[in-house]
Amino acid sequence: MVVDDTEAILLLISRFVEALGHSALVARNGQQALEVWREEQPDLVLMDVMMPVMSGPEAAVQIKAEAGATWVPIVFVTGVGEENALADAIERGADDYINKPVNFRVLEAKLKAFGRTLDLNRKVRDQSKTLADYYERAEEEKRVVRHLMEQMVNSERLADPQFEYWLSPAESLSGDLIAAARTPGQALHILLADGIGHGLTAALNVLPLTQPFYSMTEKGYSITDILFEMNAKVRQVLPIGRFVCVSLISIDEVSGTIEIWNAGMPPIQILGADKSVLRICSSSNLPLGIVPSHSLDLVPERIYYKDAGYIVAYSDGLVEARNSSQSEYGLHSLLSIIQSTSASSVIESVQANLLEFLAGEQHHDDVSLVVARFGLNETELQAKLDVESAKPAQQASNIDFNQVGECNWRYSLILSAEELRYVNTIPFMMSFVKEIKSLTHVQSDVFLILTELFVNAVDHGLLRLDSKIKTQADGMEVYLAQRAERLLELQDGRIEIDLMGLRYKDSEMLKIRVKDNGPGFDWGATFSSNDSHSIPSATFGRGIALIRALSVKVQFIGLGNEVEIYYLPKSNT
Amino acid sequence: MTPTVQIEGSVGRVILSGQFDFSAHREFRQVCESIIANPDIKEVLVDFQNVNYLDSSALGMLLLLKEKIAAASKTLALVNCRDTVKQVLEIACFGKIFTIR
Repeated sequence: MVVDDTEAILLLISRFVEALGHSALVARNGQQALEVWREEQPDLVLMDVMMPVMSGPEAAVQIKAEAGATWVPIVFVTGVGEENALADAIERGADDYINKPVNFRVLEAKLKAFGRTLDLNRKVRDQSKTLADYYERAEEEKRVVRHLMEQMVNSERLADPQFEYWLSPAESLSGDLIAAARTPGQALHILLADGIGHGLTAALNVLPLTQPFYSMTEKGYSITDILFEMNAKVRQVLPIGRFVCVSLISIDEVSGTIEIWNAGMPPIQILGADKSVLRICSSSNLPLGIVPSHSLDLVPERIYYKDAGYIVAYSDGLVEARNSSQSEYGLHSLLSIIQSTSASSVIESVQANLLEFLAGEQHHDDVSLVVARFGLNETELQAKLDVESAKPAQQASNIDFNQVGECNWRYSLILSAEELRYVNTIPFMMSFVKEIKSLTHVQSDVFLILTELFVNAVDHGLLRLDSKIKTQADGMEVYLAQRAERLLELQDGRIEIDLMGLRYKDSEMLKIRVKDNGPGFDWGATFSSNDSHSIPSATFGRGIALIRALSVKVQFIGLGNEVEIYYLPKSNT
Repeated sequence: MTPTVQIEGSVGRVILSGQFDFSAHREFRQVCESIIANPDIKEVLVDFQNVNYLDSSALGMLLLLKEKIAAASKTLALVNCRDTVKQVLEIACFGKIFTIR
């Protein structure tokens, strides 16, 4: 755009500009210049300083203000004696000037120079727009993944009085994952996982773990089975070179057993009631996603406890958090703050301690920490079991067995030795139980009863294992080793399981029948009365006592290799 | 970090230095590709002599390298692993799938 109030100069310059291959717009004062600029958005403005209506510098200021981020070069064409006005104009945003009379050689050179700068300017603007688009897209993707993670991680289930956790991502998305769920038998499963790197890709790496973890835990699968599936899933969905470090912890308060499997995570610390370190479970496995499931050793470390204590599991981001002097937080600091704190929330003390240590620095990797407790309600649990075994939850005398009606549904399963070796029977049956309306709210009870009956039939009925072994030192290990060995050798074992839904008044009663083809036992002598306290060993008796406590009737039949129990679901309120 | 390569007969040695993490991704890949493409090299050694830090994305890069080297029918060993490097490899149990010397 050429702006001048002298017609001759206006004509001269615009012709020259057109001769150079540009197209020229004309305006005769500042006001007009502004109007034309608004209308046509020219790339460059050549403007006189002194003009009627509105001066050049005034128009320049206005144009610059309206152009905003878009760069519009403004070049003043000045006469002698206008230096002050010119200086002022340049100060307020004009880009260059050229003296009158116009030297066309210089004007041409200047237009070329501005052309180059304009090209560069446009390129930068395009790139920064692309960058801004990328950024927005990335933010949107993060938002979606964050939502997805929150849904899949299910923080509701993390609100469990048995453990505390803390997860602090290094970026807006975490590559660390903490998940927890309980089996139908109330064993607590805690998953702590760390994907490669941090941010979006790390978060995507850990997501495939959640689905097998929750669904299999809910069906009562062991952590070995869950790990097998998680590894298969990670291998299936992640590219080579991506893997996930995992530790999976199971705490079964009923049997007083902890199971820990650690692959690539820092050593898990088992603390006693006084918070001294009792045992360390170091990583002894390849992270998930590297080798096929069958070449992993998925047998967890087992710990049997009688007293209360703590399990401390964390990601490397916590102990490797560095402050401004490049020293690491370290396991020692973590353990000493856990040991010295008397606050009810151990995690809060650790948070405060780490914050103080970092003194304003950011941790560079995702930080996660789980402090779980075990042996908590041992006495409480025992008391509950004792009371319940002495006084069944539903008084058998209140049940009128004459009112037990016909069968609504029936589910039967027969397994021979071959299947018993590899079928994970109870979780398999639980997926059926889950579908039965009258049982959905009492899955936990059904799971416990089924597990006890099945384990009794297999371990004692078929494999003839002696429960007394369990009471010796290391007894549980010996027992399990013997069990595995005998199961492998078992030739003609057979287990029948029937589940029946019987009509009872306006509700439904569950009848479970389990029969093995072993020689049975003298149940008449063992349970001389209905008094469960007469059962010899505490370890052995617990199972039967539990079943008695939960059900309305337990009946051994024939040789004692067949048992029927009746269970009345509590009303679903 | 700029990895350097030494070739002695049929052995290609990739010498790493400093921090081996995701920022070394591109250089490491380029160096490894050149070694894999070299038909004279039968054995690849990744030398950790001068590495003082290694993170999980470096482990991922090693897994990728292992895969590519196996596809090219060459052998791979991780050598001169000390202190921090050794500790990280141990926690991840990489000794089960890598030759570490």
